[in-house]
Amino acid sequence: MKKIVLKKFRLTKKVFSFPYILFLLLFVVVPLVLILVNAFLDGDNKFTFENFKTFFTSPASTIVLGNSLLVGVITTAICLLLGYPVAYILSKMSSGRLIVLLYVLPMFINFLIRTLATKAIFIAMNVELGMGTVLFGMVYNYLPFMIMPLHTTISSIDKSYYEAAQDLGADKATVFLKTTLPLSVSGIISGITMVFIPTISSFAISQLLSNGKIFLFGDSIQLSFEQNLYGVGSIMSLVMLAFVLVSNLIMNKFNSNSDNVRRSLW
Amino acid sequence: MKRRITLLSVTLLTLIVLLLPLLAACDPSGGDATTPSGGDTLVIYNWEDYIDGGDREMGRAPILDDFAAYYQSKTGRTLHITYTTFDTNETMLTKVLKGDAPVDLICPSEYAIEKLLTAGLLQNQKQLYDSLKPQLDEYGIKLDGMSSLGSDGNIEPDVMSVIKSQFGEVKSGDQTLDMTEYMVPYMWGTLGILYNKNVISQEDLDTYGWGVLWNEQQSDVLENKILMKDSVRDTYAAALFYMYEYDLLPDKYADIASAQDIINITDDDMLEAAEAILTEQREHISGYEVDFGKDDMLNEVVYADFAWSGDALWAIEESYDEETDDYYLGYYCPTGVNEKTGKQRFSNIWYDGWVIPTTVKNSLAAMMFIDYMCRPQSAIRNSIEIGYTCAVAKNLLSSDAAVRAYIEEQEYDIDEYFDDIGRYPEINESLGVMRDFGARNDALVNMWQRAKAGSAVNLSLLIIIAVIVGVVLLALAAYFIAQALKLRPRKLG
Repeated sequence: MKKIVLKKFRLTKKVFSFPYILFLLLFVVVPLVLILVNAFLDGDNKFTFENFKTFFTSPASTIVLGNSLLVGVITTAICLLLGYPVAYILSKMSSGRLIVLLYVLPMFINFLIRTLATKAIFIAMNVELGMGTVLFGMVYNYLPFMIMPLHTTISSIDKSYYEAAQDLGADKATVFLKTTLPLSVSGIISGITMVFIPTISSFAISQLLSNGKIFLFGDSIQLSFEQNLYGVGSIMSLVMLAFVLVSNLIMNKFNSNSDNVRRSLW
Repeated sequence: MKRRITLLSVTLLTLIVLLLPLLAACDPSGGDATTPSGGDTLVIYNWEDYIDGGDREMGRAPILDDFAAYYQSKTGRTLHITYTTFDTNETMLTKVLKGDAPVDLICPSEYAIEKLLTAGLLQNQKQLYDSLKPQLDEYGIKLDGMSSLGSDGNIEPDVMSVIKSQFGEVKSGDQTLDMTEYMVPYMWGTLGILYNKNVISQEDLDTYGWGVLWNEQQSDVLENKILMKDSVRDTYAAALFYMYEYDLLPDKYADIASAQDIINITDDDMLEAAEAILTEQREHISGYEVDFGKDDMLNEVVYADFAWSGDALWAIEESYDEETDDYYLGYYCPTGVNEKTGKQRFSNIWYDGWVIPTTVKNSLAAMMFIDYMCRPQSAIRNSIEIGYTCAVAKNLLSSDAAVRAYIEEQEYDIDEYFDDIGRYPEINESLGVMRDFGARNDALVNMWQRAKAGSAVNLSLLIIIAVIVGVVLLALAAYFIAQALKLRPRKLG
């Protein structure tokens, strides 16, 4: 009897995914369902649409959301402007991989410790905490997320493209504009997504680096849950989720038009 | 086959690791109040840093250990104390209201106690005492210190009378309950301003009162060097007191005359006014904090901090400057009259107290613990350790020889200790008690969200960033154009 049972159970590759599927169900699917349910409940656990009304009619939530998107866009733009040249130069260097590692190394230190240290430095330098310091913190934290995919994409571009372009008489600028830039679009898109989404949902960085004066969407969600406003907090989380999904959709759209999808995602 | 066994065991191990936390979560922390080894247990849920943790160098054991020894000497059983902490009343409420915290003792603030009481989650300590009477008599234990058993016990009568007047009749369902039978005060204090004496003079405080937190004196040094509390109730209270002192209340509240009248108003007009005031304040302050304010004050990063009296007293003690032989921080609980507007200054008085939830397992130990905390010797130990004012009567403390000896041992001057008005303010009409806002709490939190959100980011910043981006782009373009020019094929001939 026992033998039969054992025989029926086959240890295929599939079996190894069970723990992860279980994990996914417990810690991703169940919480999502809980958020969805909470969004429609009021303080006394009765069904209501009041939470949606509270959120969508309040000017504060639009301001907070607008500010977060703005911070997200600015951070992403700065990261791209700083990250692209770095990734480009590094991909041309033989020791580039090693130097990229140096960019990524700080990420091994917990971001909270890094942020607190940054704050201490700003205070020692007498820099007034505010929007500027928050943006600095965001860029500092998320720049590696921009450099990594860009570096991977750019260094995986076949060198014969440049050579062909140069052979055909293109100058350096044209080579860059006609080969490198178009071929690294997928890297740019995944870099943008990897910086933009965490930025709009982050809360600790803005709170620490502005003494709580810059109040972003993540802070707002945190405050709602802390103050037992689960309904409104859940709706904010759903809105955030919508942004994540939309960003992902856009990214996929771009990537499907490009050949090196797999290489760009690390 | 061997490989398969290895693989199988790996899978099993992974599953076990994943499921262990679940098993642990399912395990009720002890069906009764006994540990497997035979001793009793007591689960305490208190604020962080809110009890005497002992001092190894001075050879003083933590007060919890002393209590366990006392328990054993009375009952003959060992006691294992599980001590857990919370950082805000809201964290504690979420856990307890959802039934996730099987604890024997909690030490919340007055409004949180009211909330728990309204939800029917608290044990009546008087009734508990009656049911424990046989056991108490058997062990020869008296619970004289407690204020919940009919008399004021060891607790300051003034403190008790304020609690009685505000929480004497709390509605819970169709019952009216007397909260004093459900709680024993532990610590109390006021809200005020922790200030740097080098920047803010006593005269400034006397002239501007609560306005200091709005930089009413328009001092350049103080501008952007003020911290507020990142806590909606306290900050709202400050806004109310400020509006009253500066005559900024909506007209319909013209006849308010006491702190108690104003502090619990949460209607839409008041919220709107408070929001405007708090939004205006954003321009003058450094930010909002709940934990780093004391450190920033000590490091002179900021010069004024909206603070609880106990935190302030703790910070002042740390601020001793050997060169000047003085403390550079001070605490001011606004009182008196603002000369410009002729209005009285009000402040808030608050209490934290011990309550026993209905989930209690070891009610005997819980009651004994509360009584133990009400002893003058325990009270002074806790009070000196954490900086807050204990609720045990002042004259009981000052007349107790052991207490006096302990205060001296801790290098305080006894008269100075008891005469400090930061520590022992006069309890009068100008101090109001904040109650639970009930259903209005959500509106208050929404107002706070709006006030914290402020206005949209100002345009100047956007312009600066646009300029930076533009410059970078131009530089890039210039670089490419230069390259292109350099490589341009020269015309022949």
